[in-house]
Amino acid sequence: MPTKFKPSVMNRRQFLSTTAMATLMAGLPLQKFAFGADKVVKIGFLAPLTGAVAAWGKPGLDGCKIWADWVNEAGGIKIGDEAHKVEFVAYDDEYDPGKARTGAVKLIKQDGVKFIMMLGGDPWPGVFPVAQKEEMLVSTLLPSDLTPETTMLVAPCEVHPIYNVTGVEWLAENKPELKTAVICAQDDSLGKPSVATYLAAFEAAGIKVLGDPIFFDPATTDFAPIMSKMLGLKPDIICLDTCYTDYVHPLTEQAFQQGFKGQLISCTADFYPKMIDKTSKEFMEGFIFQFPDFDDPALNEPQINFKNPKGFFEEYKKRFGEGEWSAVSWEYASIMNLWSDAAQKAGTADPKPVLEAMKAGGKGKHIFGEAEWWGKDLFGIDNALVGFWPVVVIEDGKAKIKQYKSIPAWWAKHKDLMIKHMTALNQMYFQRK
Amino acid sequence: MPERARSNGLSWVLGLLLLAGLIMLPRVVTLSQQELLVFLVINVLLVASYRLLTLTGEWSLAHVVIMGVGAYGSALMAKELAFPVPLAMLAGASIAALIAFLLSFPLFRMKGFYFLIGSFAAGEVIRLIWKWSELTWLFGGPKGIKLIPPFPDIEVLSIDFYDPVNYYYLCLIVVAIALLILYRIERSRIGLTFHAIHWQDKLAESVGVNTFGYRMLAFVIASFFAGLAGALYAHYVGTVNPNRFNVEEMVYVLIWAIVGGTATFYGPILGVVVLTILNEIVLRALGIDEMRPLLYGAILILFILFLPKGLESLVPKARNWLAGRKAKRQGSERPTEAKLPAE
Amino acid sequence: MTPELFLQTVVNATYAASYMALIAVGLVLIFGVMGVINFAHGELYMAGAYAVVALYADLGVPFFVAVAVGLLFVGALGLLMEYGLFRPLRDNPLGGLIASIGFLLILQTIAVLMFGVHMEHVPPSTQGKLAFANGVVLTYQRLYVILAATIAVLMFGVHMEHVPPSTQGKLAFANGVVLTYQRLYVILAAVILLSALWLFLRKSKFGWALRACAQDREAAALQGMSINSTARIAMFIGAALAGVAGALTAPLVSPTPFMGDPVIITAFIIIIVGGIGSLEGAVLAAILYAFVNTFVTTIYDGTLANIVGLLLMLIVLIVKPTGLFGAKERA
Repeated sequence: MPTKFKPSVMNRRQFLSTTAMATLMAGLPLQKFAFGADKVVKIGFLAPLTGAVAAWGKPGLDGCKIWADWVNEAGGIKIGDEAHKVEFVAYDDEYDPGKARTGAVKLIKQDGVKFIMMLGGDPWPGVFPVAQKEEMLVSTLLPSDLTPETTMLVAPCEVHPIYNVTGVEWLAENKPELKTAVICAQDDSLGKPSVATYLAAFEAAGIKVLGDPIFFDPATTDFAPIMSKMLGLKPDIICLDTCYTDYVHPLTEQAFQQGFKGQLISCTADFYPKMIDKTSKEFMEGFIFQFPDFDDPALNEPQINFKNPKGFFEEYKKRFGEGEWSAVSWEYASIMNLWSDAAQKAGTADPKPVLEAMKAGGKGKHIFGEAEWWGKDLFGIDNALVGFWPVVVIEDGKAKIKQYKSIPAWWAKHKDLMIKHMTALNQMYFQRK
Repeated sequence: MPERARSNGLSWVLGLLLLAGLIMLPRVVTLSQQELLVFLVINVLLVASYRLLTLTGEWSLAHVVIMGVGAYGSALMAKELAFPVPLAMLAGASIAALIAFLLSFPLFRMKGFYFLIGSFAAGEVIRLIWKWSELTWLFGGPKGIKLIPPFPDIEVLSIDFYDPVNYYYLCLIVVAIALLILYRIERSRIGLTFHAIHWQDKLAESVGVNTFGYRMLAFVIASFFAGLAGALYAHYVGTVNPNRFNVEEMVYVLIWAIVGGTATFYGPILGVVVLTILNEIVLRALGIDEMRPLLYGAILILFILFLPKGLESLVPKARNWLAGRKAKRQGSERPTEAKLPAE
Repeated sequence: MTPELFLQTVVNATYAASYMALIAVGLVLIFGVMGVINFAHGELYMAGAYAVVALYADLGVPFFVAVAVGLLFVGALGLLMEYGLFRPLRDNPLGGLIASIGFLLILQTIAVLMFGVHMEHVPPSTQGKLAFANGVVLTYQRLYVILAATIAVLMFGVHMEHVPPSTQGKLAFANGVVLTYQRLYVILAAVILLSALWLFLRKSKFGWALRACAQDREAAALQGMSINSTARIAMFIGAALAGVAGALTAPLVSPTPFMGDPVIITAFIIIIVGGIGSLEGAVLAAILYAFVNTFVTTIYDGTLANIVGLLLMLIVLIVKPTGLFGAKERA
């Protein structure tokens, strides 16, 4: 359904202060926090908010707004001895490194933020010199941004593409009769490393990949030829790699229309109910991917580090419309959980101590459970938080988390394969220019 | 048509004021605005070099890609071949000029809209080659090149070019020299020949002017400076990728040139300055990023409907207004004399 | 390449050629008559797709009704552009270009504000398909696009006239009233009968008026022809064609506010390579580009397909600098 125009930042501030006043006057049991100074900690949000890549940034900012409202309503974050309200300062980097650099300067030096969340990708190398010089802690959703030099960049949520191994491992364990696969992916910075991961995962599982992986241009709109090509090889499994949603849907449709009868596996399947509409419940039965619905009961298990995922999902739908919900909507918010936990532990919001607290003991609270700080072999630096990741399967029209699988466990057994395939596709950190 | 020369003392004073203003500017703006200033100066060079090309009447859509050729060239020379950065920058600009020279042969067979699309196709082929994953070892593929060496610091004077203010002054000097060269070319016989080719190419040919040669000259010179702009960009931001030089960016250059005005040398410069300030400062300050493209689009439409001759047409109007006020103050009753003829 | 794959690729390429032809024919009408580069043409395509999203996917209106409304709606958008932007800027083609870019940004942002940045999912209006021998498949959804394109091409491009060059380049369009009358009824009978009659009445005068306006506007006006109404008709039909392309492909792609971006550049390449003002050229260039692109994509990869497609277009322009059916160099 069409969404209404959202209120501006000003209204949000008014909302926060009104709420704070209301809670104060209602005399709720928040007296343990000091209110007088009403301290604020500012967090930077540097991502594309307009333009074609906005779908990877803007929904995240929306999710963070809900997070901030909840946290502030509950009195804020206790850093040191004082409660701090959280305020997000956003800057639209338009997925451009020059604009991102300008934004970083503004956020760090003029707005005084203590932490910057980015989407990453093209803009990151533009921000890097500034962030490094100013010693600012930055998070990214794209672990491929990590290199040995990026000491204050962390990838604490998405561990793309490594998490894809979990889906393949589950597939091999539960459907051992499937022996062959074909892979397709868009030819961009996400597609290639992900293909290397799937190649390694299939090899580890003893599944034969037929032919070479098929890379298509990101501007493709007609997927019939690609699917025809894949079906021509007669595979048991079709792997859609980390195709964006606007490829997954037409590819799946094409598979349906061209009569595929085998197994589909993909990294994402956003809006899978619509995929079912376009194909059929029977066709989509058993579709494997990696992103759960946020009202899945398995997200309430004790090791999950996200408060009230169902409520968050409902609130998001209410404010922004069901159509806008995607993985991006919760990922940034989950990073905020990690950050605020570390800030409270460190007793300060300053970047260096917070980073230390985050990485203390080599372990951290990833959304899907306790995880390791990892990555030296692939990225040259242990700044990716890697632990468990859910394997999601569509059953009777609904996505269900079947199992949380451990990525470090897979890595311990098969890391050579991963390194081999990453090197072959020029995706190792030391192979990039 | 060529703008009238101004030779009175007033223009010297204005010129010095402008210079002083440009020098003081970084001190009076915010830190992030200093960053914007660097990009603005680079874009001034980009759009002024584009103007030289349009003097011959050809509107190319490959200009931003050629800026990219300079950027990629300079980056690779400095990073892979260990050229000192200033030399790499000149090398990058020269490569851009060379590419333009080579492209002249196929492209100048086409005219008008055909040239527009032909130049786009040629530029896009180059851009896709940068992007092609098979060539990642050379151009970095979709991710491009990063950790491009910065302009070397001048230890003796403790000038660090990471600082936007210092880089701004560096660019200011380079761009000022470039603008001077471009302006002189425009006003010279070569420039007049460019105009002649634009308006009366058959006539020019009939008197023995080598139209192809002059077109190529304009293209090559414009591309050299576009490449230089690219090199200045590359060594500041430290990274280049194929998306940065796509058709969207080229459209911005078109917008700056057309909205600014195509009759005067300073028209496109006026365009890039006004529109950049509007887009990056004014519109961002409103705090509603979602609406920015709409507002920018609306502003474009308003500008082009009410100032069809471009922003530069405001300048004589301003002059008239100022002169009119001056006359009033002097109690003069001869407004017609004070009024300057329209452009 | 197996015979099945080859046939399927031919079928796929035909579909790709169809919607590109629809968009290109619309663009060439606008470009040929008004001489203005309409950069917002891709957004007219997007608007057509969203009309179907809003009506058919969200409100459950029957598919062809939604397409018809989309056609009229986008046609009306075209009229708005003509009246508000292109008419005041008639003597300023570069200005018209800028104004169309401004309108592009406005349309995109409105789509974002109304529908969000995510992509839409329009359920197919039919799951039916034509299954040929050897597993070659053509879904009805794609067939509609091919049919619409064929109808549009036949309506506007059966007999191509070559008009002596003018400052605006030339325009070629349909002749043979009998043929167009039949095709017209076929397409409009499915939409609205009244507009069918109106358009038909206009059709015969339209062709002549277009030709006259393209040659010499002042003379045409002196002859009593209304340039304004000719421009309006051209803009309406041109926009409506783009809208129909969007509406019919909405269930086949995932509409986003930015879906027009890749379309516009390809469309311009196609019409320039076809020759300015030549509908026949636009159609041929669309078929050429779609076939090359589809086949190279299937055999190799997408980026290479783009490079090859562009090089091919470039070669055509080098060999024939005024396009496939373009006019010779003007004096």
